[in-house]
Amino acid sequence: MPTRAIKAIFFTRFHHEKGSRVLHQVPEGSITPSKTPSALAEPLFSFESITSYLIPTQQFCDRLLTFCISKCRVIGYPVCIREGKYSRNEFIFNFALVVEEGLADWVAFGEVVRKLGRLLRGLEEQGGFLSGEEEGRGVWEDDGAGEEAGLGFGGGSKVYALCEMVLEDLNNYAECMIPIDDSNTINLKLFPTRPPPPPIHAHTVPLLTISLSTLSTPISSDLTLSRILPYINGINSVSHIAQLADTDLSLTRKAIQHLVYYSCLVLLDIFSFGAVYAPTAEIGGFIVDEGVKEECMRYVAVPRIRWGSNSNRGAKLGSESDRGRGGGGGGGDERSSSISSSTSQHSETYTSASGFPAATDADPAPSDSHPLTHDTLITLYTSLRQGLTLRNWVLDNLPLLSGIDIRRLITFGVIKGFLYRVHKYAIATSLNLPPAPPTSLQSGAQSTVGGGHAYRDSDTSTIRGHLNTSHITQQHTNANHHTNASGLHHKPSLASTTTHTTTNLFSPGAIAERQAEEVTRLDSLVSDGVEGGLPLVKFLDGMHCFDEICTELGMSEKAVEGKIRGVGEVQVFSR
Amino acid sequence: MALPLPPASNLQAILLVTKSRSLGPRLVFHYPPISPSAAALAANKAPVWFGNETSTGSVGSDSSSSDWDSSTENDGGDDDAEAGSKTSGGRTSGRTGTSHREEKKLRPGAGGAWGRQESIDEEDAEEGAEGGKAGGGARAMGGDRDWDTVLGFKVDALEKILCPGKSFNKRKFELGVESVVFVGAPMFVREDGLWKKRKKRRKRRAEERVQNGDLLANLALSDSDEDAASQDESKSKSKSKSKKKEKEDDFVFPPGFEPGYGHGLMSGAASGAVSEAGSDTRSNSTTNDNPDMTMFNVVFVLNPPALEYQLRTKNMYDNVTKKYAKALKYEQARFQYVWKESKRIIDIKQRAKENGESLSATWRKIINTSPLAKSLATMFDAISNDKIAHIHFDASFNTSFQIPQADSTPYLPNALEPQMPGLWLTTSNVVIDDDNDAPMTQHAALLLLEDPEVILKDIQGDKGNAAALAFYIRNIVPTKSLLKISNKHNILAQDMEFIAGHLVYWRRARLIAPLHPGDTYIVSPNADMSNMQAAISAYAMRFPTLPSLPKMLSLLSGNPKPYKSFIPTAEHRDAYMDILAWLMRGGWVTQLRTFAWVRVSPEIKAQVATEMEREAVLKKAEDARREAWDTESLNESLLSDKRSSFLSAGGATARPGTPLRRTRRDRESDDDNAGAESNMILSPRTAATGWRGSPARAASDAGSTSSARTTIAYPATTQRPLSPAQPSNTNTKPTHHPSPLHLNPTSPSPSHPNPSQTLSPTSPNPSLPSTHHPSIILSPTKASSLETRWLEKIGHTFRDPDLREHWPMLLRHLDGRHAIEDVSPREGLKRKRVAGLFGGVREGGWLVIVRHW
Repeated sequence: MPTRAIKAIFFTRFHHEKGSRVLHQVPEGSITPSKTPSALAEPLFSFESITSYLIPTQQFCDRLLTFCISKCRVIGYPVCIREGKYSRNEFIFNFALVVEEGLADWVAFGEVVRKLGRLLRGLEEQGGFLSGEEEGRGVWEDDGAGEEAGLGFGGGSKVYALCEMVLEDLNNYAECMIPIDDSNTINLKLFPTRPPPPPIHAHTVPLLTISLSTLSTPISSDLTLSRILPYINGINSVSHIAQLADTDLSLTRKAIQHLVYYSCLVLLDIFSFGAVYAPTAEIGGFIVDEGVKEECMRYVAVPRIRWGSNSNRGAKLGSESDRGRGGGGGGGDERSSSISSSTSQHSETYTSASGFPAATDADPAPSDSHPLTHDTLITLYTSLRQGLTLRNWVLDNLPLLSGIDIRRLITFGVIKGFLYRVHKYAIATSLNLPPAPPTSLQSGAQSTVGGGHAYRDSDTSTIRGHLNTSHITQQHTNANHHTNASGLHHKPSLASTTTHTTTNLFSPGAIAERQAEEVTRLDSLVSDGVEGGLPLVKFLDGMHCFDEICTELGMSEKAVEGKIRGVGEVQVFSR
Repeated sequence: MALPLPPASNLQAILLVTKSRSLGPRLVFHYPPISPSAAALAANKAPVWFGNETSTGSVGSDSSSSDWDSSTENDGGDDDAEAGSKTSGGRTSGRTGTSHREEKKLRPGAGGAWGRQESIDEEDAEEGAEGGKAGGGARAMGGDRDWDTVLGFKVDALEKILCPGKSFNKRKFELGVESVVFVGAPMFVREDGLWKKRKKRRKRRAEERVQNGDLLANLALSDSDEDAASQDESKSKSKSKSKKKEKEDDFVFPPGFEPGYGHGLMSGAASGAVSEAGSDTRSNSTTNDNPDMTMFNVVFVLNPPALEYQLRTKNMYDNVTKKYAKALKYEQARFQYVWKESKRIIDIKQRAKENGESLSATWRKIINTSPLAKSLATMFDAISNDKIAHIHFDASFNTSFQIPQADSTPYLPNALEPQMPGLWLTTSNVVIDDDNDAPMTQHAALLLLEDPEVILKDIQGDKGNAAALAFYIRNIVPTKSLLKISNKHNILAQDMEFIAGHLVYWRRARLIAPLHPGDTYIVSPNADMSNMQAAISAYAMRFPTLPSLPKMLSLLSGNPKPYKSFIPTAEHRDAYMDILAWLMRGGWVTQLRTFAWVRVSPEIKAQVATEMEREAVLKKAEDARREAWDTESLNESLLSDKRSSFLSAGGATARPGTPLRRTRRDRESDDDNAGAESNMILSPRTAATGWRGSPARAASDAGSTSSARTTIAYPATTQRPLSPAQPSNTNTKPTHHPSPLHLNPTSPSPSHPNPSQTLSPTSPNPSLPSTHHPSIILSPTKASSLETRWLEKIGHTFRDPDLREHWPMLLRHLDGRHAIEDVSPREGLKRKRVAGLFGGVREGGWLVIVRHW
């Protein structure tokens, strides 16, 4: 909220004989010339030319009226009380304030003025708060006397005091509490206007920007909100959160929208190693800005450096680094506090740690005490590009990635806006529901993904293997499913290019990416696949990204891709 | 906010108010005839930021978001209700009841909502009940018969409040009633009863004509039937040229009467000529001493969302309200246009009202009768739909109005920001505020946003200019820069540029980097997916035999490759370039541009440091007082002694030999060090102060033996103690200081020079690369002296003489803000040549390269 935005506050009354007159103004002389020693030399604008807007016809009374004059914006709320006790049966006043014309968020002040106007109306109606002051004090006497009376009157007037206090308090503290009498208190606060929250899609990933869990009092009595909070960790998608918290999806979305509205969280995409990220035009800002690089370094660094010399890496790695990540989150970076609860959740995606064993295996020497430098960060970020999956990027840059939490590295870029997720879309050009043999078009689409298809697949399998081991140690549930899954993991060759299109539907190896929930769904998925991709078709209009399709259908990307190929001629493209 | 907001004029009505001696304030005309109530407008505030929501529909996102909207906005409704229940007088409560119900009813409808009878009726009924005045009965007849209220206000109150005092003459009139704002530009008659200054008018008009004639002159219209115009042609041409010079940097458009396509092109000439010929006499004759009308005010009624309030009102005032009022004033000055028309409109309304005719029928009649009313209607229909309004005032004066829209943005909005899908994503339109940058306009190509035929059809109305303009438009191709086109067709470059600016301003074209098969294009992340289905069929109509739109997008979404790799044969080239132009036009694709910075390797730094050290030493050696010292080594030891004491005093720098050169670079390297530390063990930064003057460092200095000329402090030393567990002698890298041959490295980077790795406590040679960190030179043109030396040094490493020669030129573009693709047109080199040069530098590993739009 801008401080000292209010330039003046004044109280105007309409007199049936004398016309409109400013009875109180703070500071003195800001609206009409005043002889007070402390008065401003020059009024902010000419009062005469705006009287018709301060005391308008009844049509415009009891509304918020604003108008601009001499680079000032006058915000008033003219009130007209019609009662027999007043002369001409009317009591018209306006308690207005003046701000800069260009003030962006003047609406907040408008709300204050509106509230004040209504309060004063109520006070006047209840006990003549305003009219009582005018009696016998000669406010309406003509000039000389009026001025003088006004002068003395300024000290004793409650309304004048109100003007003064509102101005000072709102300018200094953006809020005020002014007791009027035993039963009335004026409470005002400037609420900044916030942008409308975007619609929350089920496939977006919320990440808290402030630590809500450290607040001493619960932030809300909203049950949905309090249930989902522990699961908001920058990894889980909205629909996954709803599942984990056992809340209704639409309520969850609404609760998250609330958090977005109050800027408590940012929205990310679902992180996976199959995703593609590329720099935006703002990457230049990252390269130039030392501060951001420092911040990035703190955010992405895996605190444990020494594990490279550790001889028995392997089974424990996943959980260990995970814990480390949580611990690192606790110390310092506020954003990371939301991560600390993520220990058990990493099965959602590859944990970044699961890439490390490969790193050390490949190149143990540099991973020893490899310091993270700005240069490394720049090299890493600039080497991301369209058409390059994160998986391949990791393989390309393994030596540089030691000591770096890959997910955080990517997330940092997305949060700062210098990376963007390249989403994949599918569009059906012609539908033939019985699974069609792969056509030349599909192979064309394949080839654009890059020549190194086979290479990629074989390499993924190594990562997958590591991931798998960590899973064995960590997952104690779903034992039979798990063995099932791990067995499948060890058949990575299934996903090679040649067999891709034909066997994909039934090749469970493709489903390796989302583990916990996906594995349980394996059976239904396969049977679903046999029936054909009817629910899928509505997503094939080019408006639904793969994240969305996967979330909605509860399938892995590979599975979806496989089904899509069964649907007919479908073009897959990314933007 | 840097992000452009989606165009939304929020225009809800236009009112014309006059004040005359005979009739007083009078609301002459409003459009649309049946207006929504102000309360309804106030309630309808949801911004269009996320308009293109592509929900799956599986969850009731629509309902949820609209619920949400009503709770987030500061809506008057709730407050009103609250206050209404408190207050004793029934006035407010009646009003709020309306607003509440209206809110619910009108919410879904943004544009055409006010055609709805029922909501208006209800409003009227409410008003009738509430007001209890005589007019209540008449109003109860229904919206279409409601002659007494406009926007839910009584007409007499409204016309009074919209007639401001004389102090608002030519100023912005902005009156907000709740969140509805009335924006006007009141025009007052002068004291002498004229609408234009008499004395200076001749001169000013002449000048104005030149300005208006600009376009005409540039078009070189020989077949113009306007005498004045052709007469002035040569004169104004020379003038306009000089004016063009000033305008070259960015497209400035002549203020006031920019013509739009189809109407305006000759209006400038026409107005100029006619005004010259007719206005003097006519205005003199028609204005008498006591003019009836003293003021008119065209008021545009908007209901902008709170956050966009300033932007929307400013846009409306600056681009439409003010200009339109000026145009009207000009017409008024010429022949009492506004007042004559007003009287006519008032007359028709009066009769219709007496006959009890319906509003809509009357309005049709008025619009058909009065060009002024018609212009208001046209204006409203166009502007409220964010289109260009072509206004036809009278036979001799046409002009166009619009609120300009962004045609590109460098920012990709994130999920929380206002979305503008379909907006072209590029940095090529970003003006880099460098003094030495020539504008790119001449090197840009013009991409017509509509087919030439469509544009040509639109300008058919212009007898004279159409032919000339058609010539330009037909010759515009998106693959050739304006410069090339003008050279080829013998068109004056300024003319070309002016035409281009004109087309761009009036949303007929965009300036783009010339499309080239050698450039890389990607699917724009900002492409409008909701438009896909329509685009597919449009595309299929246009390119029936070529790969489909999804196929093309699919091709372009893989690994970024030059566009030519998608073109199957040379014969397909033109067709594929057409496709590319089509895709660019729709914002489906954008060019992937390359940006680069120079990365200075530690080796270079070490080398330069060594040289500088030697220079310093030599300088000292020349010093008379140092004559006694005849050997370099002695010199050196002294220096290092001196320095170490200096250092212990606490004022250490990395390069004490050249304290004056301590610039940003030094600070950066300090930062680097600190950064390296903190990321290693998360050690507190305070350590940084300790190690500089540490005895260990001094000792290592003294013990420097390997190099004959080494006097550089060794900040990296202390990284070792910070990581005690590090094996001390892991480094097996050669630590000799590099020769120039070494410096033409095969692979210094992009792999990651690892300073601490090469660190050896026994040979802390300051001229070793290991003492330095690679760094990036952010702006070679503003490089510090040290940075300049590095760059020079890098230049020396190039073996290719051509590259060496062009290195300074290349450097100008290696600041991460200039696209490498722009080098060729800017510097007048062939694309291949630039690619070769650039490739040479890149091979050396001197660049940090990033590609984005």
